[in-house]
Amino acid sequence: MLNLNNLLLQVIRLLLTFVIIFLTLIIFGVSPFDVFESILYGSLGSYSKFIRTLIVWTPLCLSALALIYTFSAGMWNIGIEGQIIMGAVGATFVARSFLGDDLISPYLQILMAMFFGGFWGLICAILKIKGKVHEIFSGLGLDFVASGIVIYLIIGPWKRAGIASTSGTDIFHKASWVPTVGDSNFPIFLIILVLFLYIFSLIIFRYTSLGIRLKATGINTFATNRFNFSSEKYIVFSFLIAGAIAGIAGFSQSSGAYHKLVPSVSGGFGFLSILIVLICSRNIYFTFIVSFLFAALIVGGSQLQIKLGLDHSLIGIIQATFVLSWLVLQKIEIEKITYKQISKMFAK
Amino acid sequence: MILLENTLVTVISLSTPLIIAVIGETISEKGGVINLSAEGTIMICALFGFIGAYETDFAVVGFLCAMVLGAGISFFISYCDINLRMDQIAVGFVLTILCINLSNFLGQDYVRINGPLITKFSIPFLSDIPFFGSVLFNHSLITYLSIVLIPLSWLFLNKTSYGLAIRASGENPSSASSRGINVKRMRLLSCVMGGSLLGLAGASFSLYTKYGWSEGHTTNYGWIVLAIVIFGGWNPFRAAVGAYSFGLLQVLAIKAQSVTLALSQILPLLPFPLMIFILIFIQYINRDEIKNVPKWIVAILGGNQPQSLGKKLPEEIK
Repeated sequence: MLNLNNLLLQVIRLLLTFVIIFLTLIIFGVSPFDVFESILYGSLGSYSKFIRTLIVWTPLCLSALALIYTFSAGMWNIGIEGQIIMGAVGATFVARSFLGDDLISPYLQILMAMFFGGFWGLICAILKIKGKVHEIFSGLGLDFVASGIVIYLIIGPWKRAGIASTSGTDIFHKASWVPTVGDSNFPIFLIILVLFLYIFSLIIFRYTSLGIRLKATGINTFATNRFNFSSEKYIVFSFLIAGAIAGIAGFSQSSGAYHKLVPSVSGGFGFLSILIVLICSRNIYFTFIVSFLFAALIVGGSQLQIKLGLDHSLIGIIQATFVLSWLVLQKIEIEKITYKQISKMFAK
Repeated sequence: MILLENTLVTVISLSTPLIIAVIGETISEKGGVINLSAEGTIMICALFGFIGAYETDFAVVGFLCAMVLGAGISFFISYCDINLRMDQIAVGFVLTILCINLSNFLGQDYVRINGPLITKFSIPFLSDIPFFGSVLFNHSLITYLSIVLIPLSWLFLNKTSYGLAIRASGENPSSASSRGINVKRMRLLSCVMGGSLLGLAGASFSLYTKYGWSEGHTTNYGWIVLAIVIFGGWNPFRAAVGAYSFGLLQVLAIKAQSVTLALSQILPLLPFPLMIFILIFIQYINRDEIKNVPKWIVAILGGNQPQSLGKKLPEEIK
């Protein structure tokens, strides 16, 4: 199955992508080696930095995993941001209730986050099927509705004691935080959850008819109806499970990263994970790795300001350039270009 | 009366960039391309419009810079869509993220500094009319342009042969192609026109409405533009009504700030749920599932989505 020629071409494409990123950085007058050195140091340089990377990585790879389901069904789930936000709202709902100081709080939070996120994904799916609303527009709309809900909750019913400000709710009770190992902040609970969900998804996509039908829905909706199974059912399923997984990402943000509900609780990770899935073209293994690379870029990027005096938006530029040039290079037949150029070189 | 007059003046000048952007996006979507990079395009064009005007001291240069940049970005999208056969939504989305970050990175030296300013230009005689004079004829040139653009773009789309060709390519590329329309060129044309208008809108943010530059200067306006285009049912006049209503909403939000904080934060998000309702409504009307809908409601809320919006061109079109 493995086509060596194809693999070689992909490696050449990857190298070209890095050349483009390096050139972009040089155009901005920044040394690429300095940048990547400080990113590497800033993300993996010490134990605490590594843990920060892990805490960024969990929501990223969870929402990327969620997107694999919807992309497999051929749907553009831009509503992922809203699903993350609603997941965080669900988690906060439990954390602020009378169960907030109980040891079972994190587990209930996950259930509630899955429920809220899944519900938000379900709305998108129902709008798609019943209302024939393009999922991009409904997703975009629901993103902003969700952020409106969060802002309302933070200023209104869940405001901090005394003052109403947009800086967030009160910090959760310690029992509602994501369980960690002993005194260190190692988020063992989240890591196990991520591994479990990834293996679960691998099995679904590899060994079950569910996964195959999901992919078939994405490839050709008309054909699936001929094969006597309703593609609509699978679109609903993909949005439901994507919303639930994105909800867990929201839980990881509110109870693992911030320990409270803040207006920008999704941190833009939903949109970022769309970039990740675009690069990985729905490959689960690649998504696992690339989302870690992106998390390392984000955490390492905070070092850029301190060490090199560069704005952290450089990281966004690197990520987006990477995705864009990778996508464009996929569509360019490199082998033809090189053959032509080689023949031209020999002609001279 | 004076309160109403002042509010209307504020709404019209506040909505200037939105009107231009909404018309640009409408033209682009009529041709079949969802320019999902609107958020990023407006942001980076706001920056480059400001830089252009600041470095040369001419506001006109700023507007030109922004238009060229906006046209370039949309040209890239349509090139990827038409020639490389990539997903236009993917390209537009990645470009949004890229442009937002680029504008934050490149704009650091220009945060909160003063540059050239567009002054008000009262139209002689007309501005002396009571009420209407001060509401309509006492603005800057870019605002007049935005008002004039509304009927112009409608005429262009509905009454010219180019407009017809653009609409045909957006509705059904195959049959348009067999009627002898160069569908690829029409798609490119509509997308680049729309993109340059988005660029102009960006520049009118940084040079007029929200004067200056700061990080995330035009955050969310691009997404709002996408919502208002749908709210307007792909019709420039109704889109303009949507944009002015949003302007009014913003004014109300500022007024509400002193009363309740929550309301002022949530009011600007209102276009998004409205967009979803409109989309559902359009679909139900088109499928004739709701009977006896009064005609005036259909006229206000209905609309026809270009049938090949966001889809790749069929293979057979050369």
